[in-house]
Amino acid sequence: MSSAALTRLRDEYLARCPTLPESVIGASRRSAAIEALCAQGLPSTREENWRYTNLRLLERARFAPAPEAEHSLPALPAPLPGFARYVFVDGEFRCGADDLPGVSVRTLRTSGSAGEAWEFTAQLPESRLALLNEAFATDAATIDVRRDATTEGIELVFIAASGAQSGACYPRVRLALQSGAQLTVVERHVGAGEGSSLVNSAVRVELAEQAHLRHYRVQKCGARAAWFDTLSAELSRDARYELLLVSTAALAARSTVHARLSGPGAELALSAAALGEGQQSLDMYAMSEHLAARTRTQQTFRGIASDRARVAFNGKIVVHEQARGTDSRQSLRGLLAGAQAEIDLRPQLEIYTDEVRCSHGASAGKLDENMLFYLLSRGIAPEVAQHLLKWAFLEDVISRIAPADLRRQIELGLAGQMSEAATLKELL
Amino acid sequence: MLTIKNLHAAVDGKEILKGLDLEVPAGEVHAVMGPNGSGKSTLAHVLAGRPGYTITSGTVTFNGRDLLALSPEERAREGVFLGFQYPVEIPGVNNVYLLKAAVNAARKHRGLPEVDAFEFLTLVREKMRLMRMDESMLSRGVNEGFSGGEKKRNEILQMLVLEPALAVLDETDSGLDIDALKVVANGVNTLRSPHRSQVLVTHYQRLLEHIVPDRVHVLVKGRIVRSGDRTLALELEQRGYDWLLGEAA
Ligand SMILES: Nc1ncnc2c1ncn2[C@@H]1O[C@H](COP(=O)(O)OP(=O)(O)OP(=O)(O)O)[C@@H](O)[C@H]1O
Ligand SMILES: [Mg+2]
Repeated sequence: MSSAALTRLRDEYLARCPTLPESVIGASRRSAAIEALCAQGLPSTREENWRYTNLRLLERARFAPAPEAEHSLPALPAPLPGFARYVFVDGEFRCGADDLPGVSVRTLRTSGSAGEAWEFTAQLPESRLALLNEAFATDAATIDVRRDATTEGIELVFIAASGAQSGACYPRVRLALQSGAQLTVVERHVGAGEGSSLVNSAVRVELAEQAHLRHYRVQKCGARAAWFDTLSAELSRDARYELLLVSTAALAARSTVHARLSGPGAELALSAAALGEGQQSLDMYAMSEHLAARTRTQQTFRGIASDRARVAFNGKIVVHEQARGTDSRQSLRGLLAGAQAEIDLRPQLEIYTDEVRCSHGASAGKLDENMLFYLLSRGIAPEVAQHLLKWAFLEDVISRIAPADLRRQIELGLAGQMSEAATLKELL
Repeated sequence: MLTIKNLHAAVDGKEILKGLDLEVPAGEVHAVMGPNGSGKSTLAHVLAGRPGYTITSGTVTFNGRDLLALSPEERAREGVFLGFQYPVEIPGVNNVYLLKAAVNAARKHRGLPEVDAFEFLTLVREKMRLMRMDESMLSRGVNEGFSGGEKKRNEILQMLVLEPALAVLDETDSGLDIDALKVVANGVNTLRSPHRSQVLVTHYQRLLEHIVPDRVHVLVKGRIVRSGDRTLALELEQRGYDWLLGEAA
């Protein structure tokens, strides 16, 4: 990252800070974030954990939030039955349901009080993009879920409406589940307009004892967009977190996930599917820290790169001394569907104790010739056969999407993206 | 139906089929036998159009058309079916969907509308009963986790649903228990008709007790070295192949 970009970042911040809402993050906290960020510098592809990220769009970015403007909004996916929908435009709350039984959804820009502001960067080993979010965030959603919540689920739709030339958007969410609470959250990032937005989201998840969160994230930004994301999760005793990301859009996408399994018996099931084509670069870094006994992580990644796309997954599992009886599994697989495409998979394991069960598998390869020929020999057209096999490849992740309507939406979206051929859609 | 003349085929620069001649008239069932490595599966693959084989000379005519000029999927749509010696597992691609896609591909090729979903399922269920297959197999991935015998039965199920003009079954009988062998033979027999031909690659005379072939051919070192009626299979059973090896030279 050039010093010119850092100077610009600081200047943009100074020009803008008087109007950034205190109720979202206090001014002194914002300044501290900018100082910390400038001291560290923005990420660079020279760093090990950013090697596969396309950071060019970030370097050229206008960092200050895009000014509010009238945007024509895109058609949104059909509402999911039983889910309460909340819509955010350029990171700011636009509309959503009133109170839900057992669930409080607060958006801080307009209705928050100074005491409600929150931050989480201190806990993160990689906090730079979260600091950037903290400096500029113009709104934040705080969602508290009680044990008696009966809501089927909530859906957060983040629409990136402004083009990158007018500024960035900073979605910001804190999801806190009280002890024993359960919830399904669907988080969508979609694009509007010319689809060139710069999005830098920050999500904090806190699961108290025995809480169970199913969190589905769908990245469907604009074709020329850059989507950066930092998610940090803290899991208490026997908490269960199912986190699933489907990333198919944006020119450059990078998600950084840091989960701390700090209570005994806590469990994380992280699944991600990425489908890259054209010049797309889709990158994910997922770190799981096991800090207590009998904690479990399961990482499943399936990525397909066609054309000149680059798809990367870096999964790191750290088992600390006190985390006896840890069980971690990594299954990372990539499919190369283009001569110039690239897949980078990195399973990493650091273990500082005994009595653990850790397994990992990582493989990247081409479509299986035998499978392909088998389908052709049954009369299936080559394009359809390829799509079917790609489809089947992603199934390991897609089949984990519990809400049937959401799964179907995602399946149809993938089918549409993989093939115009009606055959594939009909097969679903 | 099928005429093969002087077929030479190589894989990775190694010639496997070395001047193979075979004629299978419409309505007939022919058996192809021969020692391991003689080129039986190679022949089956070349007929189905598997990539990786180089045809250096010879012709294959199917219903008057140059079969070798067609792509694998075109051959299938024209009615050529290969029953694989080793059926492939395709997790994530649903068995019944593949069946339906295969049927529709062939129908589209013939200018017919897509098959009615209800009629299709009724037909598939009927054929499954014939093959003594559990219906739950329909919703599983193609051959995914199927036992060896179940895979072979699934091949025959596909054949029964697709009703190909020419079926080449590569060792479909291997790995089947005695009851399954009868079920498979029964399936093959139901498809016999004056318009269809079948080529059975097999090592065992046992299959030919259930499916009586019109002709038996012996493939040795890439060529058909002897053809005869069903008694040839019995003779092979007793004498093995040694006495024929000289004829391949
Ligand atoms: N890629 C390859 N490179 C070199 N030789 C090959 C290759 N593939 C097949 N062969 C050889 O071709 C020969 C014929 O193989 P094929 O599978 O057709 O035999 P087969 O008659 O079906 O035998 P079996 O009865 O064991 O099934 C064998 O000797 C085999 O090793
Ligand atoms: Mg063979």
